[in-house]
Amino acid sequence: MTHQVFFEDVHAGDEIPQLRKNCSTQQLVQWAAASGDFYQIHYDRDFAQATGLKGLIVHGALKNAFLGQLLHDWIGEGGQIRRFGCSYRGMDEPGQDILCRGVVTKTYTLDGRHYVDLDIWTEKPDGKRTSPGTATVTLPGRA
Amino acid sequence: MAQQTYFEDVAVGQQLPTIKITPDKQQLVKFAAGSGDFNPLHFDEKFPMLKAMGLTENIVHGRFKYAQVGRAVFALAGYKGRVKRFGVSYRGMDLLNKEITVAGVVTAKREEDGEHLVDLDVWTEDAEGKKTTPGTAVVALPSRG
Amino acid sequence: MPDTETALQITDDMRAQIGVESEPWTYEVTTTSVRMYARGIGSEDPIHYDVDFAKQQGFRSIVAPLGYIGTPVYLPGSNDPTFGFPRRAGGPRLDIPFKGLLDGGTETEYFDVICAGDVLEETSHLADLKLREGARPMLFITNESVYKDKATGKVVVKQRLTSIHM
Repeated sequence: MTHQVFFEDVHAGDEIPQLRKNCSTQQLVQWAAASGDFYQIHYDRDFAQATGLKGLIVHGALKNAFLGQLLHDWIGEGGQIRRFGCSYRGMDEPGQDILCRGVVTKTYTLDGRHYVDLDIWTEKPDGKRTSPGTATVTLPGRA
Repeated sequence: MAQQTYFEDVAVGQQLPTIKITPDKQQLVKFAAGSGDFNPLHFDEKFPMLKAMGLTENIVHGRFKYAQVGRAVFALAGYKGRVKRFGVSYRGMDLLNKEITVAGVVTAKREEDGEHLVDLDVWTEDAEGKKTTPGTAVVALPSRG
Repeated sequence: MPDTETALQITDDMRAQIGVESEPWTYEVTTTSVRMYARGIGSEDPIHYDVDFAKQQGFRSIVAPLGYIGTPVYLPGSNDPTFGFPRRAGGPRLDIPFKGLLDGGTETEYFDVICAGDVLEETSHLADLKLREGARPMLFITNESVYKDKATGKVVVKQRLTSIHM
């Protein structure tokens, strides 16, 4: 990570660089391993369908983690994620693009720290937002 | 854990208590997590390699069966015994949701370098009784003196 | 009959690879990894889960189920993403023309009990090459790995892994 983004360069309305994900069934099993969530709707099609789902779905917590990665990649070594979260409104499936996006909503300085608020979300190929959320990060200033 | 087995308690020809396990997909995914082997052959029924092998059901990791044999051998050794070695060959495939039985028999008892050793034939059998994972083991047991 | 141009043979070059030692790799045994492996094999023996219980039985910490020798340190680009094993410089170079790969066998020899908290250093070498001729030629490759405790330098485990290429 060589390029550092600075507080002065960021304005409300800016979109941060997008992160494109596409989960294989293998990735969903690796997430189960990492998170300890072995719920079968994420890798057992028969089980998923028996619960009324069309097929396998991506763990909500994994999408949350992708959004964390989106922020981490943007803030660079000098930035810090203060908080972030999202709601799992829509389902995403393996083998399909999940686009992670963020837009700056507010920039402000408080007690000597430079804060940036963002709307963040994951989006399906048709543009439907499946995991809307918000984040607050701090960025270094140029001065 | 059952009570400790001592060298004097074991006889040549004695059968080990069997272990039975019917691995479902969740079990194989947990094994993938534990072992680090994330080959989709073991959990994705749509994985192209599965079809290429002429299979419609996912197969159990060979190492999963090895570990089942390990459980049986570890149970014989108990906390005071030590497993010196155990090895298997993978001769047949086992499928998801089918019962696997681990069995073994004591083939010899001997003393070597102050240790009391028990030799075993160990294996896993599929639901039809076919020995898919034949092997051997050597266990050191405590002696009553 | 196999086409002679693609027929598999064990060459002198391949035989020369036997015994060539790889670079070492670190394997870590942690409480979390021991418990996950135990869950993975369906064992509920407290010796694999409960640290206090394991210590009461005279062990350093929870005991690794047989078959688990730690998890290799994973570095993106250095390890196989599906199987996790390290691909490293040094060690044998074999050009195997066959795509089919099956696990042939596993043998483990223990010189000590492996417990959570252990950090092991592993080196491996090609131990054997066998060709089974026939309608479907098969190449049996056996690798031997030696695991030493990083703190004491003592050999803790040796493992022989056979793979079948066809």
